[in-house]
Amino acid sequence: MLNKVEIMSPAGSFESLMSAIKAGADSIYFGVEQLNMRSRSANFSLKDLNKIIKICKSNNIKSYLTLNTIIYDHDITLMKKICNKAKKADVSAVIVSDVAVMQYARSINIEVHSSTQLNISNIDAVKFYSKFSDVIVLARELTLKQIKFICDEIKKQNIKGPNGKLLKIEIFCHGALCVAISGKCYMSLATYNASANRGACLQNCRRSYKVIDEETNDELVINNKYIMSPKDLCTIQFLDKIIDSGVSVLKIEGRGKPPDYVYTVTKCYKEAVESINNNSYSKDKINFWLKELETVYNRGFWHGGYYLGKKLGEWSGVYGSKATKKKQGIGKVINYYAKNNVAEIFLESGILSKNNELLITGPTTGISKIKLDKIIINNNEVDFARKDDKICIKVNEKVRRNDKVYLVIDKK
Amino acid sequence: MKIVHYRNKCIGCNACVEIASSFWRISKKDGKADLINSIRKNNDIFVLEINELDLEANLIAERDCPMNIIKIEK
Repeated sequence: MLNKVEIMSPAGSFESLMSAIKAGADSIYFGVEQLNMRSRSANFSLKDLNKIIKICKSNNIKSYLTLNTIIYDHDITLMKKICNKAKKADVSAVIVSDVAVMQYARSINIEVHSSTQLNISNIDAVKFYSKFSDVIVLARELTLKQIKFICDEIKKQNIKGPNGKLLKIEIFCHGALCVAISGKCYMSLATYNASANRGACLQNCRRSYKVIDEETNDELVINNKYIMSPKDLCTIQFLDKIIDSGVSVLKIEGRGKPPDYVYTVTKCYKEAVESINNNSYSKDKINFWLKELETVYNRGFWHGGYYLGKKLGEWSGVYGSKATKKKQGIGKVINYYAKNNVAEIFLESGILSKNNELLITGPTTGISKIKLDKIIINNNEVDFARKDDKICIKVNEKVRRNDKVYLVIDKK
Repeated sequence: MKIVHYRNKCIGCNACVEIASSFWRISKKDGKADLINSIRKNNDIFVLEINELDLEANLIAERDCPMNIIKIEK
């Protein structure tokens, strides 16, 4: 029997939202204003809410609104305002952790999903939250065996959510892992008063540290300075086992990440799920997807994460991304000619040559990848173009004025 | 001297209100901090002239704001 697994992608901007849709996401999650776990970086405003949900509906995908920070009394008015607006716009569900939000969302009949911020790790906790939630996002730190047990017990005990259907289990399949259990880290708060649980994490765990003996001032030689920065989760190489465990939704981390990450990761996992469903999931394909996943933002992969057991030593070893490719902003689209599928681009920096790989991103375009086989300047074909040139290139699909143009370079 | 508040990026953590409640309060409208009696300079920036006596508490508010959007200009 085919297990219909939903791929849920992060949308921190309209560019990422459209990239997720292009890559085949079944659903997206997003936040508005400050009451979500990315209040510092990627965010939409309340004004964008209707548009986002409308885009999702017209593309036949589900939209989930994250409202999962710690909530203080002074947040209640805003929280209710966001819920009311989301209800009116017909959001698919809200992802919550605070019971105040859970209670209010249910009172106005919005579907509720329990956030990973609740670090739900056992069947009794699942049962408790099933009174409010139709989907439970499990803690990232469980093993596959523990996940399977929970999924089996839901069936066995016939645990249903408020919608009357069997409770669904969601887990993270790809992206950043926290050194602490999600929702229980106070490092950023304790050091900078910037609470991770208000979405303001400064990620000081990601930096390198020295261990110094205060008495002698001697530095302890350690082979890993990044003692608190885990590698990113990657599950594509055993996704069949994950699906077998009975989970219904696979969530991709990264509302703060760029559209090329959203596109590539969504596409790889979507293809993997389809391959599993049609029995063509193979080592060759896995290797191809892994190569693709390495081209976009990653801190190195912890293949398996906690799901395959708590392996030690999976630390990032670097600050920032280990992606094998990088993007360099070079200009913007100034015109698009639909008749012959040509884009006119103004180069603001850098040098372009034939056979370069380009990326065009925009709030409506999402993402478009182009292999440059011809560069035209003033009706003449040229081999190179540089800063201040206006060039015409053939594109694969419609792009739009003011879309950003990036040159994709192999990182040596 | 003056306090400059770049309000748009406020995450409503309440730190400034806890520290200097006669200067800061959380807006009932959008859950972000308001600099009481300040003058709006443009969409996002609010300014309030203060004197030496008001400085101490607001310097702590400046230091503890997780978004670094409170600036004291002397």
